[in-house]
Amino acid sequence: MTSSLQHAFRPRSSTAPAVVANQLIKHFGDLEVLKGVSLDVPEGTVTSIIGASGSGKSTLLRCMNLLERPDQGELAIADEAIRFDRNPQGDIIGLDRRQLQRLRAKVTMVFQQFNLWPHLTVLGNVIEAPMRVKKLSRKRATALGEHYLERVGMADRRDAYPAFLSGGQQQRVAIARALAMEPRLLLFDEPTSALDPERVNEVLGVIRGLADEGRTMLLVTHEMHFAREVSDQLVYLDQGNIACSGTPEEVFADPRCRQFMAPAA
Amino acid sequence: MTSMTPEGLIDWAGPILSGALTTVQIAVLAYAIGLLLGLLGAGAKLSPWAPLRGLATAYSTLIRAVPELLLILLLYYAGAQALDALLAYLGMAGAVQITGFATAVGVLAFVQGAYMTEVFRGAILAIPSGQLEAADAFGFSRWDRFHRIVLPGMLPNALPGMSNLWLILIKDTALISVIGFNELFFTIQQAAASSRAYFLFYAAAGVIYLLMTLSSTALFARLERYVRRGQPTEA
Repeated sequence: MTSSLQHAFRPRSSTAPAVVANQLIKHFGDLEVLKGVSLDVPEGTVTSIIGASGSGKSTLLRCMNLLERPDQGELAIADEAIRFDRNPQGDIIGLDRRQLQRLRAKVTMVFQQFNLWPHLTVLGNVIEAPMRVKKLSRKRATALGEHYLERVGMADRRDAYPAFLSGGQQQRVAIARALAMEPRLLLFDEPTSALDPERVNEVLGVIRGLADEGRTMLLVTHEMHFAREVSDQLVYLDQGNIACSGTPEEVFADPRCRQFMAPAA
Repeated sequence: MTSMTPEGLIDWAGPILSGALTTVQIAVLAYAIGLLLGLLGAGAKLSPWAPLRGLATAYSTLIRAVPELLLILLLYYAGAQALDALLAYLGMAGAVQITGFATAVGVLAFVQGAYMTEVFRGAILAIPSGQLEAADAFGFSRWDRFHRIVLPGMLPNALPGMSNLWLILIKDTALISVIGFNELFFTIQQAAASSRAYFLFYAAAGVIYLLMTLSSTALFARLERYVRRGQPTEA
């Protein structure tokens, strides 16, 4: 899969891939949700994970900041191999909390349900993690926060509380919150699925702008046209396996892939 | 009696006010300690570690299942004996004298903590899980997650229960009179008995308790408006 991506590398990318996942397996009880998924996300590129509901896309995404802990496999994120505690059989049974906190400062996430903190203002939401996790001064965090709120077009609502905003506005604030950590990798978990149809485009517009900037992003989405448009790499997940992957051109040219996409498109 | 009555009230005004002050002090201290015990209890009850959960469950279940008056008597006598025994064992017999005040605060706080445990547990469980997940996803430490997200997130849910418990606590301080400690109710009883103006003194006590509870209700209402500042309409 990595080889098919070479041409998609953008000029500024020179380091190791932002994500190298190798043979990830994840169970929920008896259900095997990921059956040995390997995935590289090169620096400066956009990868979209698509597939039907229940195919394991969100689980795969959530393994990238270890909100889900894989049961087996290897993972390197932002130049760091994740140190898993393993039992003698090699099953993953624990994580290094210190490393986890360091990692999560570099890999931030935008959720389907926004998950803003309701007791904090828009600006408060955006500067909280930079202040607590990156230990920035309030002044520096505020400068960063204002910059990224400007970036998503929400600067004029900085003192509002999230509950007073539309879904699209809340999601744009959530994107600013993720950006304010200046992460190496941005994760998007179905960022437009909870929005009213007329609000979808304002959020997709922001994400498209970030893709154009050359940010490294991993998206789970049902928006096929959007995914095709902004992605350097498409990964089609089917029942916990990668059924199909490559550049959007390759995926859509391949009859075998197209057959998978047909119902989703 | 009519000519004695105003004189009786004035004579007793000093002790009654000092009793009322003591009542407020006991209540405030017991409440503060009860809050802390409640947070610890709720934390323990939500802990993944079973022995801790068991301990917290035993605490909140037992204490809430027994009449408070009985608990006060039990803890007062058993607690004093246990402390004496402990001090004797340590060879420090008589070194520390527990005052009625400390007993009152200790017993009421212990009871408050059990109720508070349940209030906080419910309030924490009512926080939408996405808010906690967001804190985790951004790499918050446990402490930051607790005091920046969990605490402000649960307060809107917890405050009505907390306000109830405060009112109950103020009234429960009257139970302390059974161990002969000079709080408001005990003083009133003495005043009523010695002046024989029972109705007058008990009515005065009622007014004082009412003033305490009404003013604190106003305070809690303001607090609730503050913790719900991010919510569009008063629910």
